[in-house]
Amino acid sequence: MIKIPNPNIGKVSLLVAILTWLALLFVDITRIFGIVNQMESGVMPEVSFILEIIFFITVYIFYNYNISRNEDNDFLNLIWRGASTGLVASGVSIFIGLFYTMLGDSKLASDILLKNFFYHVTFALITLFLISCSLLWKHLILYQRTKNIVKQWQLFEILLMVSMFFIFFNKNSLDYSFLFGLVIITIFSISLSINLKWIPYLTFKEKWKSILFLVIILFSVTYLFGQVLTYSESDLIIVNLTDNLFLIGLFTFVFFYTLFSFLVTLFNLPTSSVFEQKLIEAINFQRLSQSIKPGQNENQVLDILIDSSMSAAYADAGWLEVKDQEDQTIFLHERFIEKDTTFQLYRHINAMKPFSNFDWDKSGNENKVFQGKIDLAPYKSALVIPLVINQNTMGRLYLVKEVKDGFNKEMINIISTFVGQACISVENYRLLNEAIKNERYKEELKIAQRVQRSLLPKELHRDESFDIAAFSVAADEVGGDYYETYPIGPRKFAVIIGDVSGKGTSAAFNMSQMKGIFHSLVQLSPSPSEFIKKANVALGLCLEKNHFITSSFYIIDTELKTVTYSRAGHCPTLYFSHSTQECEYLSIDGMGLGILRNSMFDKYVHEKTFNFEAGDAMLLFTDGVIEAKNEAGTEFGYERLKMVLKSNCNLSPSQIHEKIIEEVYNFIGKNVVIDDDYSMVVIKFQ
Amino acid sequence: MLEIKTIKEEKYSILQLEGEVDASNSVELDSSIQQLLEAGETGILVDASSLEYISSAGLGVFMSYLEDFHEKNIKMVIFGLKEKVYQVFVILGLDKLMNIKNTKEEALEEI
Repeated sequence: MIKIPNPNIGKVSLLVAILTWLALLFVDITRIFGIVNQMESGVMPEVSFILEIIFFITVYIFYNYNISRNEDNDFLNLIWRGASTGLVASGVSIFIGLFYTMLGDSKLASDILLKNFFYHVTFALITLFLISCSLLWKHLILYQRTKNIVKQWQLFEILLMVSMFFIFFNKNSLDYSFLFGLVIITIFSISLSINLKWIPYLTFKEKWKSILFLVIILFSVTYLFGQVLTYSESDLIIVNLTDNLFLIGLFTFVFFYTLFSFLVTLFNLPTSSVFEQKLIEAINFQRLSQSIKPGQNENQVLDILIDSSMSAAYADAGWLEVKDQEDQTIFLHERFIEKDTTFQLYRHINAMKPFSNFDWDKSGNENKVFQGKIDLAPYKSALVIPLVINQNTMGRLYLVKEVKDGFNKEMINIISTFVGQACISVENYRLLNEAIKNERYKEELKIAQRVQRSLLPKELHRDESFDIAAFSVAADEVGGDYYETYPIGPRKFAVIIGDVSGKGTSAAFNMSQMKGIFHSLVQLSPSPSEFIKKANVALGLCLEKNHFITSSFYIIDTELKTVTYSRAGHCPTLYFSHSTQECEYLSIDGMGLGILRNSMFDKYVHEKTFNFEAGDAMLLFTDGVIEAKNEAGTEFGYERLKMVLKSNCNLSPSQIHEKIIEEVYNFIGKNVVIDDDYSMVVIKFQ
Repeated sequence: MLEIKTIKEEKYSILQLEGEVDASNSVELDSSIQQLLEAGETGILVDASSLEYISSAGLGVFMSYLEDFHEKNIKMVIFGLKEKVYQVFVILGLDKLMNIKNTKEEALEEI
């Protein structure tokens, strides 16, 4: 396989252009030689035309590739490239002119071949200069392009392309058709020349430079055009290359665009600083709105604010007064002013009208602007704008100038906008920080919730003598209710329900302590009173001073058909007796765990035993059920619970608990949320 | 909502509770009692006649001072508890540890 090398368009087109030019030179010299010696050289003039067109096109391709390769060219650089090419072309042309002046009337001066050789050289340089310039101008014209401009340019390129071939049609004579074509190209050039949107973006200094370069180009264009005219008038030039519509058309285009650019740049000079200022303001505005990212602080925004405002107002000095966390005002970012002077000015300004009208606590400060005369040498006028965040005035921006009435409407408008944007930035920053904090907090709560959920048993122990169901709902993300069962013998079951004081994460942690204590103590098969006493000792060591846990502990013996229980400050259990068909609360004295943390506690612990029968039901619950309030503020209460159990005593435990929940929600209404944890364990004996 | 008023009498102070004590405002109750302690008060009457509800967190506040009061020989008496609120004290067993009276007069006799 033959490997085709990657063709470099730039190099290839340059090589082809050079070869074409050499071929053109050779062909033309052959032709001239034939004409001079009145011999038939056998070379048609069309060959020259074709070579000329190929030369134009290859040069075009070369420059097009060369310019578009350096996409990051700025305007000044582009103009400089045009100017430098112009300088080289005119330089060489002047050099040739000088050479001929030196020759004087010598024979060599009228040598046709030499003259034609130089003519070809000048032609090549002019072509290079004009095509490179046109392509550079194309970049400038298409800056901030619209569809219409692009279309116009493409049409112009087609027109120029056609004009290359015009030479076949009129054979280098300047007839009316030539003039007609030239007029069309001129009109097109002028209409394209109004696309000068790049000029305002030059800085003042750049404008001066570009004016210089444009003058160089203008000079080169005019000089070279004059040269072309003298050549075509010369008798010694036999093969005319330059009376070409394409070339003359390019001349007009480059000339007009350069002239327009020159004039517009020149007239833009005085207003240049205004545009620059506006551009800086726009950039400052953007900086203000993007300045704070998470992790950075507000100070940065205030820093940009004072700088932007100072430059927008041409202020002579300025500073910010900001309230800190303790509501004390402090001075920040003093610019061009000493600390002592700041204090002096501060007192002076705030004693004067209208500045003294300012009130920190008044609402509506965000739309206020205070400006007026001051008289503290050298300062003569001041501008004060309050910084308002979320309707709280958090500070003030102070600007002072050494001239009277130094702040005009436009300045105040732009500075107010800066202040507004800075305040929004600071507010967003604060909100964002808060949101991040909350998010982290929520995330932690979720973990606590997961842990707490996993502390409640998934399965409850039972045998054929009783059925059991339980459920728990937490008001916050994490709750403090607890229930569990444990088989302490083949036919003996421990059941516990508990409620940890307080809410939220701390309640959940205490609940996990309770679970640990339950699992440890239950291994010893304690009696309910023993369990309560030991649990109190254990919890007394680890609970915070103001925390306690209420609990009820049951041992169900399905062999003896007895229930033994103790209550530690927990809501009394509701018991439905099948034989009497009555509901009663199992009343027994008892004290919450952790309330009394010494041996005195033991005397408040009691224990009772009773026999159960098939059909009896037991409802263990936490106070969330009882304390659920309706919109009128009435609690669900013990009596209602009693009624509900009684009327649903024939259902299964899970049906009973569903029924109770239903009744509780019917009672409190749909719009009310229960704001406490509530849990239930329902046991039905069989 | 909870409103706490501290009324200083010659020999004792009255802590007037109005509204509901729950987890969110039990801290206020705690700091009110703390202030009385710091002021060296030896007799505290808690007027609970306008107390509508007390949560476990609120009870925890009273509970946490029991030992302190005992050691420093400070007397605290609660009076005027509504039946519903009183039941909360009873169920928890706090009625056994705290001095709870029906009326202010009865409460004053305790100090």
